[in-house]
Amino acid sequence: MDHLLLLLWHAFLVSAFFAFLWRTTTPGRLKLFLKTLVIMVIGGFLLGWLMFPFP
Amino acid sequence: MTGGGAKKKAAEAKPSAAVDKKKTGAPFGLLAVAWFVPGIGHWILGKKRRAVVFGVVIVCAFVTGVLLDGELGTPKPGNPFSWLAAFACLGNGILYIGRLLWLNGFGDLLGGIPFDLLGGGSPSAAGFAYGNTFLYTAGLMNLLTVLDVSDIARGEKD
Repeated sequence: MDHLLLLLWHAFLVSAFFAFLWRTTTPGRLKLFLKTLVIMVIGGFLLGWLMFPFP
Repeated sequence: MTGGGAKKKAAEAKPSAAVDKKKTGAPFGLLAVAWFVPGIGHWILGKKRRAVVFGVVIVCAFVTGVLLDGELGTPKPGNPFSWLAAFACLGNGILYIGRLLWLNGFGDLLGGIPFDLLGGGSPSAAGFAYGNTFLYTAGLMNLLTVLDVSDIARGEKD
């Protein structure tokens, strides 16, 4: 089981969902999809490293 | 003068019609169907591309959760948070009910409500926590689509 792959897959599904929920134009959807995808993936990494010192 | 008066009356009538639509609310049956089958509410309202995307995303998330040995949220005695998990997973509609039927059988499903239902999954599996997350996310996303269907049906959103 690949943690990174699951992170990417979850981020992809949620980003696609909210892009279609909150935007009605293709450029708007693409922009929001990429924005939320990047935020979720980078945010996941950051949170992981922030939690690393704690047991 | 009469044509202008008629146009003025028509323009005044339009906002009240829109307000009436918002006041009456979306049909309950439409919302129930939208909950039961992910994506179908948007399909009924003519938003076919959104319907396909929402349906595929929610089904994919649910199936991923099951494949990762996640456990469907079911109420557990003495655990109030289990009701939240059950509510989140119940948002999946037919996917949740179908999975419960698969795990419990029809007779045990009816007799097991609320505290004796099997949710499946394997707590010792490596993907257990991830699986749960995918299941809860899928259910909550479907509940959001129901709210979206309500907004579109009432004319508050395109």
